[in-house]
Amino acid sequence: MSELLTAISIIFIVMGPFLLVANRFDLPTVPFFILAGIVAGIGMDWFGIDEALTLELAQYGIALLVFSFGVGIDLSSIRSVLIDSETAALGQVLLIGSLGVGAGVALGVPLSEALYLGIAAALSSTIVGTALLQVEIRMNLVHGRVAESIQFLQDLLAILFLLVLSAGVLAADPIAEMLGYGLSLLVAAVLVNRFLFDAIGRLAGDSSELMILATVSLLALFIGAAEVAGVSIVVGAFAAGLAVRHDPTEYLGLFNGLQSIKDFFVAIFFVTVGALVVWPFVEIGWAASVDKILIAGALVFLTAVVKPAVTTAILLYRGYESRSATLAGLNTDQVSEFALIIAIEALLLGVLTESVFDAIILAAAVTMISSSITNYYSEEIYRALSDRGIFTSGHGKIDAWSDVPDRMFDHVVIVGYGRHGQKLVETCEEHDRPYVVIENDPARRNEVRAECDAVVIGDAMERYTWEKAAAEDARVIVSTVESETVSRRILSLDFRADIVLRARDQETALSLLEAGALYVNVPALLAGRQLVDQIQALLDGDLTAAELREQQLTELESNTHTSLNGSADDTPSVRS
Amino acid sequence: MVTEAALTVDLAIILLSATLAGFVAKQTGQPTIIAYILVGIVIGPAALGFVEVGELTELLSELGLAFLLFLLGIKMRIDEIQHVLSPIVKISIPQMIAVFLAGTGIAFALGFGPVESFLIGLAVIYSSTAVAIKMLNDNDEATSLHGKIDVGVLLIQDIVVVIILAVLAAGQPDDLAEVATTLAVVLGLVVLVTIAALAASKTVLPRIFRRIADNKEVFFLVALSWAFLFVFVSDNINLFLAPLGIEAYLSIEMGAFMAGVAIAQLPYSKELQDRVNPLTDLFVMVFFVSVALDLETAQLLAYWQEAIVAALVLIPIKFLVFVYLLDWQGFDTETTFLGSIHMIQVSEFGIIVIAVAYTAGFVEAEVLGFITLLAIFTMAVSVYFIEFRHRLFDRFEPTLSRVTSEGTFETTGREYRDHAVVVGYDDVTRNALPILADRYDDLVVIDRRVDHIDTLEADGYDVIYGDARKGTIRKDAALKKADFVLSSSAELAVNKALLRDVGDGTAVFLEADQLQDARDLYDSGAHYVIMTQYLSSDKLAGYLRAYLDEETAFEAAIDDDVELLQTGKPIPDINRLGGELDE
Repeated sequence: MSELLTAISIIFIVMGPFLLVANRFDLPTVPFFILAGIVAGIGMDWFGIDEALTLELAQYGIALLVFSFGVGIDLSSIRSVLIDSETAALGQVLLIGSLGVGAGVALGVPLSEALYLGIAAALSSTIVGTALLQVEIRMNLVHGRVAESIQFLQDLLAILFLLVLSAGVLAADPIAEMLGYGLSLLVAAVLVNRFLFDAIGRLAGDSSELMILATVSLLALFIGAAEVAGVSIVVGAFAAGLAVRHDPTEYLGLFNGLQSIKDFFVAIFFVTVGALVVWPFVEIGWAASVDKILIAGALVFLTAVVKPAVTTAILLYRGYESRSATLAGLNTDQVSEFALIIAIEALLLGVLTESVFDAIILAAAVTMISSSITNYYSEEIYRALSDRGIFTSGHGKIDAWSDVPDRMFDHVVIVGYGRHGQKLVETCEEHDRPYVVIENDPARRNEVRAECDAVVIGDAMERYTWEKAAAEDARVIVSTVESETVSRRILSLDFRADIVLRARDQETALSLLEAGALYVNVPALLAGRQLVDQIQALLDGDLTAAELREQQLTELESNTHTSLNGSADDTPSVRS
Repeated sequence: MVTEAALTVDLAIILLSATLAGFVAKQTGQPTIIAYILVGIVIGPAALGFVEVGELTELLSELGLAFLLFLLGIKMRIDEIQHVLSPIVKISIPQMIAVFLAGTGIAFALGFGPVESFLIGLAVIYSSTAVAIKMLNDNDEATSLHGKIDVGVLLIQDIVVVIILAVLAAGQPDDLAEVATTLAVVLGLVVLVTIAALAASKTVLPRIFRRIADNKEVFFLVALSWAFLFVFVSDNINLFLAPLGIEAYLSIEMGAFMAGVAIAQLPYSKELQDRVNPLTDLFVMVFFVSVALDLETAQLLAYWQEAIVAALVLIPIKFLVFVYLLDWQGFDTETTFLGSIHMIQVSEFGIIVIAVAYTAGFVEAEVLGFITLLAIFTMAVSVYFIEFRHRLFDRFEPTLSRVTSEGTFETTGREYRDHAVVVGYDDVTRNALPILADRYDDLVVIDRRVDHIDTLEADGYDVIYGDARKGTIRKDAALKKADFVLSSSAELAVNKALLRDVGDGTAVFLEADQLQDARDLYDSGAHYVIMTQYLSSDKLAGYLRAYLDEETAFEAAIDDDVELLQTGKPIPDINRLGGELDE
């Protein structure tokens, strides 16, 4: 058995227990890979194996990480993110980036290396961030979506940084050359995607094995092209990802397979990063250790405290209400995996010294874990900030954007303007019944204001929003929001009105009923009952499967004309 | 000092040429393995000399073998092969002895030395897992009776190969006593590792995997961690034995295999197969390419005539041995014929056996060339026999049935037919289960949450743990033969995959979030598409209407729902279950 196999074995064996811990406490895996790496580094020393041995495999991990980022990109969503005015978040990158560079220089790091500290401070981790916000993103809550698109933009920026960094110097000409190469790679990727990929798919037939091989070969080709052009292989990998980008429907086996291959190599990458860290105080002397800790500490402070504060401030300025802004801001309080990639590339190129590299890795591990904690307690953090009166100017925005008649009573308060909300508004209008819609998503603001008579743009968690909607005098409050936090909040406000809520599952629904809701809508249960009726009809022979299909198609067609324009509540998130 | 790590050009060449050859093979109906081996010959020192075995290729091909055996291990579900276990053992042991004798005899007759002949005999007894299982899978026959027999026999052959590899890896023995000692130590270690693996599968593994099964990434990586633990211990066994003063060898293949067997006994193994498969494919490709990378043309072609003669003699012998043994075990003529025709080639393990023997210094590189050619040739021929198996059977049935006896073997294994399949257990499908169970003899539920599986099993349903995105999982539910399929996945990709897999007469009920998805599904053949959001928003609007008109009417209307809420059996909450385990 080769040394390399021993190294890989050690990596995986050490990784196992760390992953169990991460899973036990529901924490993101990346920081635990890094921690496992630090331990695995000791194990490899034991066996006299050089950690750099796994570097090549780690490079495959980087390539596959960026590759799958490319595969996952939905081009149309880039457009919607840009339109979504969240580009303002770019300001955050600039500001924090400069602060990072400044802090580095202040601590005596040469400017060329301080640049990397700036990048590390500015970029946030998509893997960690989106993992922590999974539920919010799935439910399409505002702060989930905002955080996701900020991360997404930062990832694109990271690719751009890598492209520029491969120029080696900060001069216009070489950078322009690199950008040119990068652009040609992207164009090649788009061409492959258009003209070649489906042809490969046809030739592979039903063989996932061949499809996976072909895709990995494409990745190798693009990386090779990048290497020949002198561009970072990461850019090649990203282009390869774009070349393979495809609706997974037809190539389920391929995308499942790529996932396994990616998980394998990416794990090796993160663990290797950890293994490369030189442990302060243990492996090096006092002075160097203090230096390293200081830099890492500054980075942690910038990432975990200043960055979320700046992001929140920018979002508030852009008109998001304070809770969404804070929650989204808190989601950016960690160092990005792309910063790790940039750091390791720079280390390999010899433009980054070991101590700055280590500081970045340590800061990444620390902030990725601390980020899980702050995101777990994000509501509490927001409450605490809010109670101290930090967000004072909030009501002005609600007043400015809301449109409610002065005196309302016996009206219907509708929370959320998704598909359910729209249907409810229609019903109220048919009945000539006064209503107010509460919506907190700025993206839906114009739509709601145009279509509804009375609107409050604000967070249902805030008492002021409800004052604005005159909830005290309402006859019924219907919430179409699935979040249990919001439901509980509504019940706790103790209105006289009847309260109709929505819940994800039966258990929550039952407890909400007990807590005083008049009725709780569980869509899945309704669908289940309808389903049972149809199955029963089919099994009893009341109608054949073909007849059922005909009947449903007719119904679908008639439905199409009335409601195709209404978006469903679960609109797809930024990335598919 | 680390340098800018440029990715290896060798690996890129291997990848690209293997891909190209793979596609050519696919178009011409050849198994991909042959394409990979040929690529190795072409780009290796035997022909063009582009590529040599480097550290990384060596690692990947080592991993390829380890993963292949790990994957095989994961498939070793004792309860699934139990009912054919006895005939399988009775077939495989005499078969291996007979083919070993024949192989040794042929090799000796062709002029190989006694040790070489003996090793060649050992190398030809296995049929190719890669070819046989791949063809069975492609033709949807893996779960048929002859498929099960073949899989079982292949697995027993694999166990034998693992033991033989372990003995060979020990290197050149001085005398017979040393061979016996090595064999004893190896067998002892194999027994120890087996006990360790099986004990783990009864004790710690169920608890660990139960907790992580819902997290795809952690689940996969911890399983790999487990496999590498065995690989590492096997490889460094001397480190552990040194204090005892014993020296022994254990192959990493053996370790990987036993790690897999331990996981196979858990309900989550199916899901893992699909996760490990792509990595295995990729690494095994590197292995097959690198097989010939060590060989010069002269070495490869040194015994080409002998290889062809051996192949022409071995193929009929293997076939006849299987026919005789299957018939003896009371299988009917068709099962006997089909079961035998899949097994007539020499396995990739044969190459591995000789490769290990070559590394250990038992044989010359030329013998490795011989066995490589023999394997390539028999595999290629067998693929065509398997392809035309039904036509061949029709042709030879009269002759065959004259010499074979009546089939007496009774299938106790159940096969799904005209059954119902439900994908995903949730609030939507839950209430449909009793109705379907009432109407169908077999109801299979596919779900990938551990707590759901527990609930379902407690209720007596057949359950497949896994993700319906995976081909193996869908295949296991025998969608093609199902009468009714219901999916509560709103994922278009999953639902379209289901529609592709079902038979013509299957009624298919699916779920969709968006109108256009629903239309797409109807166009692809769905019979009913549930649209929860639309249904629920219409219903809610209806309730509001009733409420605004007359509150009593509304109350009557919601009573039903509230009752449904209160009487329906709640789905266990995942967090609560997790909590119980800790206490």
